[in-house]
Amino acid sequence: MSIDQRPQADEVADADSHSPQAHWRTVVHAITGWDLWQHPVARVAAVVFSALLMGLVISVPLDLQGQILFSVGSFGAALLLSRTPGRLSTLAMIVLSISASSRYIYWRFTDTIGFTNWLDAAFGYGLVLAELYAFAVLLIGYFQTAWPLQRRPVPMPEDISTWPSVDVFIPTYNEPLEVVRQTVFSAMSLDWPADRLHVYVLDDGRRPEFREFCEELGVGYLIRDNNHHAKAGNINAALKVTSSEYIAIFDCDHIPTRSFLQVCMGWFFKDTNLVMLQTPHVFFSPDPFERNLDTFHRMPNEGELFYGIVQDGNDLWNASFFCGSCAIIRRKELLEVGGIAVETVTEDAHTALKLSRLGYNTAYLEVPQAAGLATESLSGHVGQRIRWARGMAQIARTDNPLFGKGLKFGQRLCYLNAMLHFFYGLPRLVFLTAPLFFGAHVFQATALMITAYALPHLAHASVTNSRIQGRFRHSFWNEVYESVLAWYIMRPVIVAFINPKLGKFNVTAKGGVIEKAYFDWTIARPYVVLLVINLVGFAVGIWKLFSSAGDETTTLVINMVWTTYNVILLGASVAVASETRQIRGTPRVAAALPAVIRFDNGRTLVCKTEDFSQHGLGLSVPADNDIPMGSRLSVSLFRSDEEGVFPAVVTFSGKGRLGVKFDNLSLRQQAELASLTFARADAWIATWGTGQRDKPLRSLWSVIAIGVRGMGQLTVSAVKSLKPR
Amino acid sequence: MKVIAIVSAKGGVGKTTLTANLATALQREGVATLLVVDMDPQNALGLHFGADPRSLAGVSRASLAGEDWGSVCVQSPSGVHVLPYGVVNESDRVAFERHLDAHPNWLEQQLQGLELPEDAVVLIDTPPGPSVYMQQALSAAQVVVVVSLPDAASYAALALMQRLVHTYCTPRPDFSETLYVLNQVDGARQLSKDITRVMQDNLGERLVGVVHEDQAVREALAYDQSVLEYDPQGQAADDLRKCARVLAQRLRLPLAGAAQ
Repeated sequence: MSIDQRPQADEVADADSHSPQAHWRTVVHAITGWDLWQHPVARVAAVVFSALLMGLVISVPLDLQGQILFSVGSFGAALLLSRTPGRLSTLAMIVLSISASSRYIYWRFTDTIGFTNWLDAAFGYGLVLAELYAFAVLLIGYFQTAWPLQRRPVPMPEDISTWPSVDVFIPTYNEPLEVVRQTVFSAMSLDWPADRLHVYVLDDGRRPEFREFCEELGVGYLIRDNNHHAKAGNINAALKVTSSEYIAIFDCDHIPTRSFLQVCMGWFFKDTNLVMLQTPHVFFSPDPFERNLDTFHRMPNEGELFYGIVQDGNDLWNASFFCGSCAIIRRKELLEVGGIAVETVTEDAHTALKLSRLGYNTAYLEVPQAAGLATESLSGHVGQRIRWARGMAQIARTDNPLFGKGLKFGQRLCYLNAMLHFFYGLPRLVFLTAPLFFGAHVFQATALMITAYALPHLAHASVTNSRIQGRFRHSFWNEVYESVLAWYIMRPVIVAFINPKLGKFNVTAKGGVIEKAYFDWTIARPYVVLLVINLVGFAVGIWKLFSSAGDETTTLVINMVWTTYNVILLGASVAVASETRQIRGTPRVAAALPAVIRFDNGRTLVCKTEDFSQHGLGLSVPADNDIPMGSRLSVSLFRSDEEGVFPAVVTFSGKGRLGVKFDNLSLRQQAELASLTFARADAWIATWGTGQRDKPLRSLWSVIAIGVRGMGQLTVSAVKSLKPR
Repeated sequence: MKVIAIVSAKGGVGKTTLTANLATALQREGVATLLVVDMDPQNALGLHFGADPRSLAGVSRASLAGEDWGSVCVQSPSGVHVLPYGVVNESDRVAFERHLDAHPNWLEQQLQGLELPEDAVVLIDTPPGPSVYMQQALSAAQVVVVVSLPDAASYAALALMQRLVHTYCTPRPDFSETLYVLNQVDGARQLSKDITRVMQDNLGERLVGVVHEDQAVREALAYDQSVLEYDPQGQAADDLRKCARVLAQRLRLPLAGAAQ
């Protein structure tokens, strides 16, 4: 069910037992199997020896030639290791990467700082600090993701009478009923004893149509007389009037599959100290990156790294945290920490932190068992990330995981990285502008020395992370995502860190239509400004190259390469701001499900769906179909032995393709439709982490192509907006 | 040789149509030699295979006349071998049935006498309810396929069928199992859905499949075709193909390569 996170070499070794990869595996197993490793003295000795060796590798000074030779050897070893299977190879690559990076940082501090005037010092130290931040995040990131736990579902006990009672909470505030309906239908069809399943819609909007809908369906409808603390307060109010042992929480647009509870609940039986289990958030509609860059289902999206690798890595250290939706929490312990945390705007992570501090276990199960709508526009996406960033900064200030009682070392580091991660705003802006300030001598070293030290640092990090994250984050995309968000999250993070009380909870708008493609000038402003600055810097560089003396040529060229890379990243950011049209109000989910059309005359046609939404289906039919538009028919959908029949009207009839819109479905039929489409147990597994593996160079090309496209779009929009109407 | 009796306790369940279509489906799945035997005095099975409705020949006449079965066997355009019941007058029918009554293993012996190849499959169509014909078919069959509708009456009648099988089949060492097919299922009707669900739960693996209500089944007969030829993309054709596949798998029928 869950995804093979292992590198490609493992698949090769599995497939062919005579391959070099399989041979490598046998040898590694033999060596790691030595009894010697079980002996405490041997273990201590190995650690001491490795630490000394590492210290030597980091600190030994080399001249240019020596450094180049050393780097080539080290990187060659990393490339060879990347072709071998197993986690030991991954760990070895991490060690090589840490050595190269530490060596760079050590050299940076000992050899490149010696500024002669205050201007150089200001920029110089600024860059050093930004690099130090990136180095810290790299190290903690390795710690976090070196060994994803890859927990598998535990089967439920056979005796159904032992299954606990569950309250399903669906908090909503201003989302349209249209969006919430599917979630309610699917929650009702969860495979769980009916007497122990209670679905509640928590309506902070207190809307009459929601009340009516819930009453008609017979699900609980809870409201309160205020909106204090937004979603957290909403859930806490519901906790007071409900009583089941467990609480499953779904954002109102996260549609659970019917198997959600049975897949997730088993772990609570196996581990009685477990109080929170989180599953991935997956989206059946493209996020603004995917839509505007046309990468939906072709490239891992921004969230996949977190849910594919990071949370699973956290899980090893018992530090998976609650993400607000698609999770189960045990009531007793949740009440023990005072319900959902209300002190910060990332109430979810903060609640998990509080539970961890009391010594309870948390878990992450990497099986997509719910799916939702992605944010509809870039501005919405940015707003959501600002909230996360602000909340994490608030936690870092008010309840810092490095300090305080109850946490293990691994948990402290994992939570620290979750927070530190959102401080990338300022460092990223430094990197995007740094080469422009090389007029000031921010580096006290020759250009070739810088290259000889910095390049291995970057290259090792790139190939190592490519191996670890392969299916969930492609190379260079991290930089794109950061470049887009850097400007926007920088200020809120700093403000929240200085004064955690400032800032409000903003609700993310979803399920909308973008009627006309447009270029979002407002949100693109920072990228456009940075892009123009970088382009000017590049032009100045060229002018200098031809006009000035030759002694700084290498420095200049290196700066210009860096500037070019920045231009590409900013071009890609601009491309994201170019909003493409989103036609359908309700997104369609691509899926080939068996279907049967029944015509008015009693004849039938067996076919397959191409996509489904809550309002209609796309069907793939024989090319010679002559089904007229507007004709009425019924469509059957199946789930193993179950069949649901839905009346529909043909809205599109083309060669090999038929579009139908459902016709006046009763509530019962809508619920049945949900259980045969959105709530299918396997609905979201097919597209999870099954994309192409990362190939760093191919990924670089795709980023370059998008960067160039972005600049083209910018030019076109600029020309258009200058023209008189 | 695998002998399959197609039976039902109640009339009007579409048994003959199902027998004909299932035969075609099995043959298309790759069963090399397929013989259908009509043991129903209605003599309707032949029509499904394009037999001349005026033809009188059949197993009843041939047997009374002491003729060889080979002389009355016809082959359908699709290659299925068909033994019609034939047309007999009332006194001959009574005489034939009396003969069957006196020789309970008559059908089995006749089939043995045909010396069909090892991988041949024989489907026997029978009249509804207890009769000498059904008794003969049950006594000869290794597998019984009970056809039922998703309605209350058919469901209630299943018990009678089980008693008959228990009497004529279960004691024989060469008998293997009773399977079920649910015919004319309509997913839009709640009763049909509910009974289908009950049958699925009760019968489990023994339910070979369901065949949906489909106008094409009736139309196909009017065009002298099996529904698989008449409307291959329809639901009934699809259901029948699935049934044939499951049946072939369950009975481990030797199949000659892939279906066409």
